[in-house]
Amino acid sequence: MGAIIYQFKKMSWSEIVLLISLMLMAAFLFLPILFIFNHAFKPFSELFNYPPTFIVRQPTFQNFNDLIMKTSAGAVPFTRYVFNSLIVVVCTVFAVIFTSLLAAYVLSKHKFYFKSLVMGVIMLSLMYAPETVGIPRYLIISWLDINNTYFGHILPFVASPVAVFLMKQFIDQIPNDLIEAAKIDGATELRIFVKLVLPLAFPAVATIAIITIQAVWGDTQASTLFMQDETMKTLPYYISTLASAGTGGNTIAGQGIAAAAGLLMFLPNLIIFLLFQKRMMETMVHSGVK
Amino acid sequence: MASVSFRNVYKYYKSEKEPSVKDFQLEIADGEFLVLVGPSGCGKTTTLRMLSGLEEVSKGDIYIGSRFINYVSPKDRDIAMVFQNYALYPNLSVYENMALGLKLRKVAKHEIELRVKRAARILEITNHLEKKPSQLSGGQKQRVALGRAIVREPAVFLMDEPLSNLDAKLRAQTRAELIKMHGTLKTTTVYVTHDQTEALTMGTRIVVMKDGLIQQVDKPAVVYSNPNNMFVAGFIGSPAMNFIKGAITESSDEFFFENKRMRMRIPESYYPYIRKLNPNNLRSIVLGLRPEHVISERAEVNNFSEWKVNALIEIKELMGADTFLYLKLGEEQVISRIVEASEEYMPEEKLEVALQMDKAHFFDETTGNSICR
Repeated sequence: MGAIIYQFKKMSWSEIVLLISLMLMAAFLFLPILFIFNHAFKPFSELFNYPPTFIVRQPTFQNFNDLIMKTSAGAVPFTRYVFNSLIVVVCTVFAVIFTSLLAAYVLSKHKFYFKSLVMGVIMLSLMYAPETVGIPRYLIISWLDINNTYFGHILPFVASPVAVFLMKQFIDQIPNDLIEAAKIDGATELRIFVKLVLPLAFPAVATIAIITIQAVWGDTQASTLFMQDETMKTLPYYISTLASAGTGGNTIAGQGIAAAAGLLMFLPNLIIFLLFQKRMMETMVHSGVK
Repeated sequence: MASVSFRNVYKYYKSEKEPSVKDFQLEIADGEFLVLVGPSGCGKTTTLRMLSGLEEVSKGDIYIGSRFINYVSPKDRDIAMVFQNYALYPNLSVYENMALGLKLRKVAKHEIELRVKRAARILEITNHLEKKPSQLSGGQKQRVALGRAIVREPAVFLMDEPLSNLDAKLRAQTRAELIKMHGTLKTTTVYVTHDQTEALTMGTRIVVMKDGLIQQVDKPAVVYSNPNNMFVAGFIGSPAMNFIKGAITESSDEFFFENKRMRMRIPESYYPYIRKLNPNNLRSIVLGLRPEHVISERAEVNNFSEWKVNALIEIKELMGADTFLYLKLGEEQVISRIVEASEEYMPEEKLEVALQMDKAHFFDETTGNSICR
């Protein structure tokens, strides 16, 4: 406590005002997180309280119980959706990192014909919102005949211009001399890539992992458009059906299950962000103005 | 250890019309410390990079020893390179940085340890072997980079401006250590710099380059005292050589350097060179004179009474033992160096100076070439 007071004494008035207002803002932004956590543990009676409450009074695991026991219209258990989601997220993250690292390294440090054209195409594809390419994507997926397979989930995400761009910006910062020194030292291209570029680009790798996990973990597009088989759909799709009447959910009884599922969806994001927060800031700073 | 030989080497870049290196022809003897010096963009670094294999040779042949190496990859050329910004692997410790090259060459572990420890002792970085490069100061980083080159025991050392990121004091100190190191290791070294002081102090021979062309290759003392052309004369030496425009005239079997301001008798030793020239060329001549040969001390000026001329002091610079006087000789500005000045010099003061014509250089104004060879 003494240390905190000492810190305050060193600060000027404007700094204290700034600190307090930032703390208030942080507290405000913390409310939804608090709500998600509490909501999941509310018994049925509390869910519909008016006015709504933030803090749960009689915490219960009933919602989680319901979530796990309930099966969807197609008799697919909850765990199947979780399994699908996990498979898709893990595969996609590795695939995105692998492809974007290779592409970015070559684009950043090697000379070849049509390099600027390739870079231009990547930049161009950054401009399109995912919705605009929904139909072409569907056509490609059905043409490749990968509906109802995990590839249908993974492939659309692997072509990630954002990841390539971020990674290229980051690798650009690695001095050429370093790579040349390694060449003279006798390192092969593979070794330079694995032992030098990869460790140095690790902050960017972490950032891309987070961005990808968040995008894939919350994605319903692939399940809605490319997966006709219920057993191939993922968790976020399932949750979106829980509380909406049109898809066989129960608008009232489903609320508790939806609250529990909402927390489960949110947790991975939180954990990952807390783990990689620092790395993520680094990359964002590096890839921007410098 | 090995000799290096460049035979009519050219480097063309796609984006540029003119080649960056033109007809580079040079034999470097085994154990030599060769310095490539020139202003930025003169092709010196390109030449070094072609020797290292990081840049392709457009035309011509390069040999290390008797081996033709144009198409040999950098790691098989038996070279080690020191970069300007050190290029230490930031994710490896100092020890690992120095050991990596050996490890990749499958040198036995105890041998690696022996060589790294020995190099660390020479460079006095034994205490830092476990640290990461980011924990070291600039000078220490440069030592590690040198150490990485030393442990490899290569045939040729390549150094690309290794001292330019160090501060002045450390640079002078490291310069001396590099000379000492070359003295003990006797490895052929090719050293690139834009700093003429480094070139003069370190090289057993120096190569002065400009616009991709070799201007002069010789021992430092010769390059200083007998430059090939005005570019070399102006580039080597600090402060730069003074240039005064004029003409050489002949009257009653004597030659004079003459312009609006002065008429100086040229010593007889120059006559054979002057007689060789086409008399037309004598009309536009540039006289080159090192600052130490512009005598300003009153006591000494009288020793050269026939070469006296009036000047005006513009600026006085005290550089410790030396004093530089910036003088105005009519329209020309001339710098005079005085060692341990015993007299007071004030700006705006008139002064009689002597131009030591027996030390003068004469250049053809149109070609820039020295006429004294």
